[in-house]
Parts: sequence; C-alpha cells; structure tokens
Amino acid sequence: MAEVDLADIQGFILRGYTMPAVRHFFLRVGDAAAARRFLGGLVSGDEAASPQLTTAQVWTVKPDYCLNVALTFDGLKALGLPAATLSSFPAEFQAGSASRAESVGDTGSSAPAFWEPPFNSTDVHVILSLYAAGREVLEARTAVLKALFERGGGMTEAGRRDGYELPDGKVHFGYQDGISQPNIEGAPGRKVTDMQPVSPTGAFLLGYPSQFVEFTYPVPQPLEFGRNGSFVAFRVLQQDCAGFERFLTENAPKVGMSPEKLAAKLCGRWRNGVPIELSPDTDSPQPPIPREEYNDFDYVVSPVNPNGFDDRKGYRCPIGSHLRRNNPRGEMVAGGDDGRKHRIIRRGIAYGPPFDPDHPDDGVERGLLGLFIGVSLLDQFEFLMSQWVNEGIFTPGIGGTKDPILGANDPATSKFTIPDPAGAKTITGFSRFVITRGSAYGFLPSATALRFLASAPPTP
Amino acid sequence: MTEPSTPSTPSTPSPDTQTSATPATQPATQTRVQNPLTLIMTLKSPEDFEQLNAQLRHFQGLPPEQNPLNQALTATGIVHFARFVFLENNTKLGVFTAYDGSLAAYVNAFVDKVGKVFDLLLSHMADAPPLPVEQHRQEFLAYIQSHDVPVVEPFYSAYPTLTVLDILSNSGN
Repeated sequence: MAEVDLADIQGFILRGYTMPAVRHFFLRVGDAAAARRFLGGLVSGDEAASPQLTTAQVWTVKPDYCLNVALTFDGLKALGLPAATLSSFPAEFQAGSASRAESVGDTGSSAPAFWEPPFNSTDVHVILSLYAAGREVLEARTAVLKALFERGGGMTEAGRRDGYELPDGKVHFGYQDGISQPNIEGAPGRKVTDMQPVSPTGAFLLGYPSQFVEFTYPVPQPLEFGRNGSFVAFRVLQQDCAGFERFLTENAPKVGMSPEKLAAKLCGRWRNGVPIELSPDTDSPQPPIPREEYNDFDYVVSPVNPNGFDDRKGYRCPIGSHLRRNNPRGEMVAGGDDGRKHRIIRRGIAYGPPFDPDHPDDGVERGLLGLFIGVSLLDQFEFLMSQWVNEGIFTPGIGGTKDPILGANDPATSKFTIPDPAGAKTITGFSRFVITRGSAYGFLPSATALRFLASAPPTP
Repeated sequence: MTEPSTPSTPSTPSPDTQTSATPATQPATQTRVQNPLTLIMTLKSPEDFEQLNAQLRHFQGLPPEQNPLNQALTATGIVHFARFVFLENNTKLGVFTAYDGSLAAYVNAFVDKVGKVFDLLLSHMADAPPLPVEQHRQEFLAYIQSHDVPVVEPFYSAYPTLTVLDILSNSGN
C-alpha cells in the first residue's frame, strides 16, 4: 500500500469537513508573481501571516475554518506556468468545462451561453474555497484573505458564491445528501462498511496506481507540481424546487404511491436518507436502520451480499434511479466490473434560502454548489454524466432514459420507469430539475505544488 | 434523441390462419446502439504471422471457458461478435466486431479486460502503439481509431436498440 503524506494533500479530497458555511471566491490573476506569493503563503506554516491551506491531516482540535484552492487551466496560463507544464495536463482539463458541455448534458437551459458570471468568462483562474464554522468566522477570514490576495495586484475577485447548510443537513429537493462516499486507500478515518471495494489511492490522487489495471494516470509535470494533486468539477447547480414538488404531487397518484415514496423511487433513498433497497415501503423501518448502515447495501446477491434481496429487476430500487445510475455497485453494467471504477468524491452545500412550499414561485435562485473530485475528469465526472446520467444503454431496462433528478430531461422524450411485479409504471413528460448555471474544471494542487509555484518566477 | 419503439416480430405461418411469414420491418426512428469495428493491422513479418497464427489457433482450440479471447470479450459485456481473420496472403490481421456504445468511453474497461490479448496481437504488428496497452491507454485508443476502416454507413443491425446486456437479460441469463 502506497504511503500517503496527508500533510501534502488538500483535505477535502480525502475527507469532508461538515462545516455549515462556505464561500467560494472566483479570482482573476493580475500580477502572476504576486499571485504566486499569495498561494505560497497558504502553505508557509505561518498562520499569523496568512490563513493556511487545509490538508488531509487528522485534526486534534477541529479548526473554525478550512481553506482549499483550485487552479483552472486559464489560471495556470495566467500564473505563467511554462508550456511544457501546460501541455502535460489532460486534454479535457485544458479544453475547459464550456467546451465539454455537450457531452455532460450542459445543453438547453444549462448550456454555457446561459452560465452566470464569472463562468461565462475566462476570468475564473483560481477558486479559493473558505469553509467556516459560522457567518462571523466567514466574514472575518474573508477580510483577511481579500487583503492578502489583492496585495501587489496579485488577484482580483471576479465573483463569489456562498453556501449554507440547510436545517437537518438536507439539500434542496429535501433529501439528505453526502451519505455515500468512496472509501479510499490511505485516507484518514474509519472505513465505512458499504459492500464496495476500497478505491485505490490513485483513483483520487495523481502519482499512484489507479482503479484501472496496471495504470497510473500521467502526472502533470514537473513531478513536484503534479504529484498528490487531483481534479475537481466545480458546479453551480440550480434546482427547480417548485417543479420538483409539482412533479411529485401530480405523478404520485398516477403511479399509485405517496409523493414521499415517489421521491424515494426517483432517488434511491427516502428523503431522510434511508436507502429504498433496504426499506422498500417506509422511511421509518422497524427496527430502525442505524445511520452508519445507510450505505451498506447492494442491488444484487454476491459474496459480499449473500443475504441481500436480489433486486436485478429493480422492484425495490428502480434501475434508472439517481443513486443506482451513478453507482451501480455490484450490478452488471457495460464494461464488466466497470461499475466499481467510476467512483467520485462529492462535496456539496446548498445555496439560496430554503424552499417554502407556500411560496413556490418566489423567483429566488436556489440549488447546490457541488465539487466533484477525482483523479480524472474524463473517467469520473464526465463518464458519469455522459454514460450513466444522460445515457441509458449501460444496463438493461433503462434504454432511452436519463437520470430523473440530474439528467438533461426534455419533456418530449423524458421517461422514468418504476419496475413492479404487477407491471411497470412509467412517468413521462417531465423537464430537467437541475440546471447548470456555471461550471469550471480545476486542478487541486498539493502543498508541495503551491510551494513550487511560489519558489519559481512566472514564465514571461 | 427520439424514443426507440419496440421492433415488430415476424409472424410464423400456421395451418389455421394460413398467413404467410412476413419480414420484420424496422421503424425509421430507432437509434442504433451498436457500432462496428473493422480493425485492420499489418504484421511485422512472415515469422510474426507464423507465431501469432499458432498462438491464436491454440487459444481458439481451447474450450470457451478456458479460451482467454472468449473470456476477455465476454467480460466486457459490450461485444456482440468478434472474429479474427488473416488477410492479404497472411500479411494482415483483421478484427471485426460489433460492440455497444462509445469506444472512447469504454476504452478503459476494454483494456482492463482485453488488454493482454491486444498486447499479444500488437507485439506482432508493424506500427504498434506503445506497449503494454494497459499503461498507454490514450495511445491505444488512437491506434484503434486510426486503424478502424470506415464502413459505408449505415451499419445494419437486425436489432439496433438491443445491447449485449439487453439480449442476455431477455434470454434469461
């Protein structure tokens, strides 16, 4: 097993922070040397001089803020990385999210033409993510950081997005989120029992053997810049809560179930997080399922799931549901055991005020600020969105359909099937509920990489 | 993308109704999920042909469950058919398949399952990509794409909307 230097790796790659507030700054590089000094300051070890990057080291005392940073390809260019370094990055990262939009379903109302500032520009060079224990800390640290990144004309703020945890840890649409994350070799903390193989380090960090046979992803050069890094798809995902609730109330009677059960069938979990695979009829099974077992299930019987329910037909958890599409677990899919090779880390938080069903069309934008992390944007984020969310040929029974919650659904063609021993029920004619308002591909450099940046002058 | 409709099935003649068998008709709106691969590779030398021919015939002579070609292709879950044909006086090897979906999206799964087979085949080829293919995946994909001879479209399929997994599932496997 590879030795992983937790102090060198950005924390949120390997573990969540569970902080209730986050502010993502989108920064434009001005003076490259000054910007590099700021980035180097994040790993100087001198908390008095600058807030410090949060690494994957285990906390003895939980801090009141966390800080992480992503660099886009435009940012690498603006920081003056040499041509040899720039060309050593993967093609999809170099191309940037706007040019990859079609393949991931950012079409129609989600197309780049409609993205909000600054995502409709080339000004997103650096994404600085400030997590905080509360609003006071958020504002205090913001003031400190702003003074620092603006110093010497290093960087200017092209925009920012704030996220706040909703009550009960839910996200908009009313679901508990963040229950399922891959166990990663070398990550701190206890492994969660989930009937799934532990992901190799190299599925989430550059420089280690990956989830594919005898393959390590090429490390961007030089080694001290690329190693221990990772990639993130940063997404501003607007959620049509009014449309979603209307969909539930209108369609639930048509398919002979309660709106809550329909919500569970769409997602794969009841809105309180209980997996429908373990509790097909109620979100309050007796005896209750312990919270730490909410991810301990599979859809098929196997050596890791010898006593489970054989749900190959999807009678409990529809094959086309959000959860099952994005992580088929032991189910047979195109590619063979490919179902286990496209895991992803999800760090997300709600933005916008809670949805009030009594004022459904309040005209306020709300949704999710999502970070989707993996060693390969192509084989993880882009694969999931193009092959499993927006395509239905990877497993039998869902041909011609897309993910009902996340997919680029068009009322003319959309379809969700609820398998049932008495006869499948289908819902058609629904629109997409999640609209992309902005997207950026970022490189998550290691602490070593940031020191390297600060130690070298920009290439003129 | 238009919704594929269920293909009609041919009716069989019965003594009572005296209907004649009619061929199945394909609705025009079906979206084909299968794609052809027409891979033509040039061997390095006559000796390479002798070696590769012997190796392939050895594999193909094994029972299916011990034939590594068979096992690898089955494991991908996306290959409908595959045949290996020596061409042009044994100077070339053709690999002809029909497979589901996007080759680019599934290249990693393909290499994980069939990579060792291609390491063997490509070791005898004149302009092979860097080997082993497990470590040079994007180069392997580029090689396949450049050696895949384009067909005169459309590629015909009697069941264009059915994947390998659909067919196996429908037949109770």
